[in-house]
Order: sequence, then structure tokens, then C-alpha cells
Amino acid sequence: MLSFIARRTAAGAALLFVISFLSYMLLSIPDMDVGRQLLGQGASQDLVDARNAALGLDRPVLAQYLDWLAHAVRGDFGTSWFSGEDVTRAIANRLPVTVSLMVGVTLVTAVLSFLLGVWAGVRRGAIDRFVQVFAVVGYALPGFLVTLVIVLVFAVHLRWFPAIGYVGLTESFGGWLSTVTLPIAALSVGSVAGVSQQVRGSVIDVMRQDYVRTLRARGLPPWRIVFRHVLRNASAPALAVLGMQFVGMLGGAVLVEQIFGLPGIGSMTVNYTTRGDIPVIMALVMFSVVGVIMINLVVDILIGWLNPKARIA
Amino acid sequence: MKKSARVAIAALAFLAAPMALAGCSDAGGATPESGPKALSVATMTLPQSLDPKDATGSALPFFQAVYDTLIKREPDGSYSPMLATEWKYNDDLTELALTLRGGVKFDDGTPFDAEAVKANMERFRKGGGAQAKTLNDVKTIKVVDATHVTLELAKPNPAMLFYLSDAAGLMANPADFAKGDALKTKPSGTGPYDLDQNLTFVGTRWTFTRAPGYWGTRLPYDTITINFFDNETAIVNGIKTGQVNAALIQDADQQISAEGDPKVKTVKQEFDFQGLVLFDRGGMVTPEMRDPRVRQALNYAIDRKTMLEKIRQSRGELTNQVFGESTAAYKPELDTYYSYDPAKARELLKEAGHAGGFTLKLPRIAAIVSDALAASLQSDLGAVGVKLVWEDVDAGSAIKRIFTDRAFSGLVMNIGQSSTDWVVVGELVLPGAFNMFGYTDDTVKELLPKIQGRDAEDAKAELQALNEHLVEDGWFVPFYRMTYLHVSDGSVTITPQDGMAVPSIYNYAPAE
Repeated sequence: MLSFIARRTAAGAALLFVISFLSYMLLSIPDMDVGRQLLGQGASQDLVDARNAALGLDRPVLAQYLDWLAHAVRGDFGTSWFSGEDVTRAIANRLPVTVSLMVGVTLVTAVLSFLLGVWAGVRRGAIDRFVQVFAVVGYALPGFLVTLVIVLVFAVHLRWFPAIGYVGLTESFGGWLSTVTLPIAALSVGSVAGVSQQVRGSVIDVMRQDYVRTLRARGLPPWRIVFRHVLRNASAPALAVLGMQFVGMLGGAVLVEQIFGLPGIGSMTVNYTTRGDIPVIMALVMFSVVGVIMINLVVDILIGWLNPKARIA
Repeated sequence: MKKSARVAIAALAFLAAPMALAGCSDAGGATPESGPKALSVATMTLPQSLDPKDATGSALPFFQAVYDTLIKREPDGSYSPMLATEWKYNDDLTELALTLRGGVKFDDGTPFDAEAVKANMERFRKGGGAQAKTLNDVKTIKVVDATHVTLELAKPNPAMLFYLSDAAGLMANPADFAKGDALKTKPSGTGPYDLDQNLTFVGTRWTFTRAPGYWGTRLPYDTITINFFDNETAIVNGIKTGQVNAALIQDADQQISAEGDPKVKTVKQEFDFQGLVLFDRGGMVTPEMRDPRVRQALNYAIDRKTMLEKIRQSRGELTNQVFGESTAAYKPELDTYYSYDPAKARELLKEAGHAGGFTLKLPRIAAIVSDALAASLQSDLGAVGVKLVWEDVDAGSAIKRIFTDRAFSGLVMNIGQSSTDWVVVGELVLPGAFNMFGYTDDTVKELLPKIQGRDAEDAKAELQALNEHLVEDGWFVPFYRMTYLHVSDGSVTITPQDGMAVPSIYNYAPAE
């Protein structure tokens, strides 16, 4: 297991390096004239050139990248070109918001979709049809529509939750919970729909296996068959889907953070990318890649732990 | 069945638990400081930094909280004392003498005096910020004594008072100038508030707390929080739920949504006009533009009324002039100088020798030119034979393509209508960003000297003649002045600021 983790970590580091290089090159292709953007259309060309030189943008792109890399490996992501704030600090301020959402959505999705999926797969009949319809509708509804309806109903009309803003977990737990509940609910609709369908399918497959029939014939209580034997075998594909959902959630987070006015990584990514703030974008890319690598690692370890057959692969 | 029912109840309980919890704690919601003495303002403007040299008009409230300006601009656009108590131009507007307030100190005890004014203005002028150009005409800053400064101008400039009540008049502690970029995130001025570093998250939320020992009149709020949002949907939701106390709403649909809530109080203001600024009157990019008849044809070809109805739900006033209602140059009849007359447009193009039409390429900034606006201009101009081609530019490439590469003949944008005539002239008529090819003509050359050396009211006839000429000669294709809506959750009275879209920080008061 340890060598597996070591191998995956080494591969992750290599991936990180390749992605950082490609991202930096891609970001440098558009001819942005950062100095001009910073100083406005009224500034003289001399001032613009001086600002570009001060930012090191008059050097070849490769030199800029190596300079960035040398600082980044030491954990120094520099300062934002546009706001002058320390990039690491800026991301650290916003990371808890997005992480709250992602972890919250993953927990809600895991619990609800396993409950619904197992229930539908085992009982079939009406509940199965309900889960199927919910899955199709939940998947088909555009995320922004679900989010807007949720805000209108639960925040603007019923006033159960705040419509916008974020309270840190350390500031007040109740405040934090009230500000993340609606965003988590909005993001969960689609992912519960997707994962519950996956769980249902796997459960039905496993239930048809001979060993389940044998267990039934031996008179084991149904709940024991489901939770001890069926779920263990059915959960691997569902976990893989859940991991993918987690990774893909950053895209959904952008939208939800904008509608709820949450100061998270998603809205930050959009705001800084359109301005071409390379130090911030690069740091965001690195954080995301590390996040994805870690999630994949955790999912693989979990699957291996649940199902020894997977360990060999 | 029993078991599945139990599971169902468990699932419901799981769903309901956070709601119940959250319901209990709602009082501690997203805006912790929402008592009567706290103000929470929403904005869609992101300041580049809090260093005065980076200040711009739309980000001014951030700066006003921490810094004072030399001159204060009242809501009606008149000037009143702030850090300067008196000011006087000489007769030909080439010298401005300022008397400074004595006894004002920065937080660290550094006195605010004439040397501080000189240091600030010199730094601002050379600082390379977007507004640095406003001090271009200042030749020397002469320190007379500790409380007297004289600005000697290279040429007459009637707009200096405006500039000193704006970005160029913000006074920071000169002791911080040597500390590199300190002011960017740790602003230090003589203003009514201090930036609370612990409750400030740059790019998201800035919290200002009352500065102890402020020299001037206390503003009604103990803390002011400015929250950044990148969309008006979130702002309007925040206003409806009272999490945001005040904001400016530009989008017509969002305005309607805000007005639908009975608690929300609103004040209308017309500030920005939307229109096509034609830089290329010399025909450098599109040779056809050289002929005034072509520019007039564009003005006749556009169905402004339908555009205003369809794009802004009739929230605005049609206009053909770039001068706003509170300027001396403004003439009401120029708002309707060009009727919607495609036949006349075709005729003018024919007279100019372009009966077969021509192609006009314009940059499209999606935030300003919506799909509806792009399509409507394309079809109106297409109907008279002008093929309008949009080139999409994004926030990153726009400035370079438009202002550095000078790849286009014009630009559709929203431009604020200053209440100071010379500011409008400086922005739109003199060579500069919006007159990048430096175009001028005989009438303009003749009128400018008569305007520049005098007060706007004294030069009213010449200003109106200039305005009339710009309209008749088709310097611009203005569409309409847009109605913006100041909205509050009912707890705040907002007084709009003349010549500025966002209200000054001094213009908020608790509602009666």
C-alpha cells in the first residue's frame, strides 16, 4: 500500500510540473499587455513599458516561467498583479468557502445517493420508479435554474436562510451552516441524481449474483445481505463516480458562488482569469491539480479497502 | 415495507436537520454587523488597490472612507471645504491658490501641511495611475507656507476643482511613500474611517471602522462594509433580505426585480450614456468615416427608441449629445437632433459616394454590448448598407486591441456624464484615450481657447456652440442616457451624487 501511495505521489508531482508548464505557456500566449491594463488607456507608453519591466514581463516567457517555478516550489506564489495582495493569503482566505461546499456536497451526495440507490435497487417497484424519475429530472435541470429557484423560495420568500454571503466556520458554526446550506443543497441536486442512479445500477447487478441467492437461501436477514455483502461489492463504481463528481464540482461551484455571492475559489477563478492575473491563476491551477490528485488517491485507496480484488490492479 | 419507511424517515430527518439548525441561527446570518450604526454597501467595482495613485472615479467610495480629498464635492456637484478651506483661481485660470486646514494630523502624528500636498500630488502625477493624466496641466506645486499651496498650470484648466475633489485630491500620509507598496493594502489618510485589516478580505469585503479623533464631522455610521459582487442578481437578493443595505443597480431587469419588493426603496439617476464613440473621424481605419455625411448617416440609421424599449425596458432618455443635463453646454433640443430616418441615411451615404455601403468593424465587449444590442445595431446599420462586423474582445485583450493596436474606428460603451464641462471636453474632445487619433477640426480649434480660459458659466455660449457642432458633425453616435437605480433595503437614505454613478461615502444616512 505504501509503495502504491509513493508511486502515485511521484506521478502526481510529475503531472503537477507538466501542467504548470503548459498552463504558464497557454496563459502567456494571449498578447495582453498587462501594464496597459493596469494603468489604463490614458497612461503613456513609457509608463506602461516601465510597469511591464517591473513585473518582469519584458523577459522571454521561459525565463518568466522558471522564475515563477523557483518561487512556487518554495511555496511563494507572489503577489497579484492587479490587487497587490499576497496570492497565498488570498487563496487561503477563499479556500475554506469552496472546501466547505465541496465537502458538504460530497457528504450529502454520498449519504443520500447510497440511501436512495440501495433502496431503489433492493425494493424496486414504486420507489425505484421515483428514484429513476428524480435522477432524470435532477440531471436534466440546469444547475443555475435549480440554484435560482432555491434562492428565491428559501431565502427571498421564506427567509429561512440568508440569500448571500458567507460566515467562516471559526466565526460562528450556526452562521456558517446557515450560509452554506442552500449552496450545498443547490449543488447536491445534480450529483445525488447522478450517483444514486449509479448505486442503483450496481446494487441491482450484485443482487442478481449467485452468491446473493445463496446467502438468501442460507436464511441470512435481508439487511445483513445488503449492507455486508451487496453494498461492499456495489460501492466501487459508485465511489469512482463520486470522486469524479467531486472533481467536476469546481465548475458548478463557480455558478453557485456567484449567485450566492460567496467569496470562494470558483468566483475568484473567473474574476482573475478574465483579467489575466497570471500569479493568481497559476496558484489556483496548482491548488486545483493538487486537489484532484489527492481526491483520486483517496478514492483509489477507499476502493481498494472495500474491495480487495481492486488492490491487485 | 416497514424498513423502507424507516429509511425514508431517516433520510428526511437528515435533510431537515441542517434546516432546523440553520433556522435557529439565522440571526447570526451573513452580515454580522447590521445594527443601526453599520452600513453594508454592495459594489461591482473592484479597486486596483487602496493607494490613491491607483484611484478611479468609480472606486472613489473605497478611498473616501480612508482619505479626505482637498475639496469636497457635494451631492449637487458644488464644492465645499475639506482639507482645503479656501481656493482661488487667478483671472486666466492658470494658477490655483489653496488655503489648507491647519491642525490636521495623519494617524502616526505626521502633520497634514503644504509639503504633504506637494508630495501627494507629485506622486500622483508620476504614479502612472489611470487618473494621473488629470494633473498633466500642473506645471509646479509651489509651497507658500505650511497652510498655503499654489498650483501653477501650464495652460488654463477650468476642471482643477473637480480633479481636486476626485482621485487627484486624495491625500495620503507622505511618511508611507517610502514604504514601497504599503498603501496598496494598508491605506493611511486623514479620513473618517480606518480599514479594519482583520475584517477585510481584499477582493471580497472591505470593512472600515470609525477613525478615532477624526477632525471633521462624524458620519452617521460606526462601520461601513463594502462588499464586492460580480453580478447584480446576488446584490438584489441581498437587498431584499436586508443583508445589503445599499447598492446601485444598472441592469433594467434587475431594477424591475428590486422594485417588485415593497420594502426596497429606490432613487433613480441618469448618469452613463450609452453610445458609439467614433475615434476615427480622420478615416485612419475606415476611410469612409472621414466624411461627416457618413457619420451623420450612422446617426440617422439607428432606431434609438426601439433599442431603449427592447434593451433597457424604456429606462432612460434618448440623446444625441455627449454633454449631460447638468453641464453648461447641454441643450435639450440636441437630444432629438437625429430622428430615425433610414431613407435619409441612405441618401447621405449616396451623396458621400458610398451608395454601395461599406464595412465597419467594431470591438464587442460582452459586458456592455449585449446580444440584443449587437443584433439591433447590426440590423439597423445593415438596413442602410453599412455592414457592421463585431470582433469579440475579452477583458484581457480589449484595452490592447482598442487603445494600443488602434484596430477599430469606434467603440460602443457606457460613458459617465460629468457635471463639469471641461472634464467632458478633456475626455472626449481633446486628444486622448477616446480621441486616440487626435482628430480635430476648424470649429473645434476656434472654440476651445475661448472655453479653456474661462469658467463654464461665462463660456456657456461657446460651450453650447461646441456641443452643437459635435452633434451636427457626427463626432459621436450617442444612443440614450441610462437610468440607474439606487436601491436600499429601507434602512438607508441614499442621496445620488451629481456627475457620479456611485454615491460618495458621505451620501448615506439612516432612514427616518
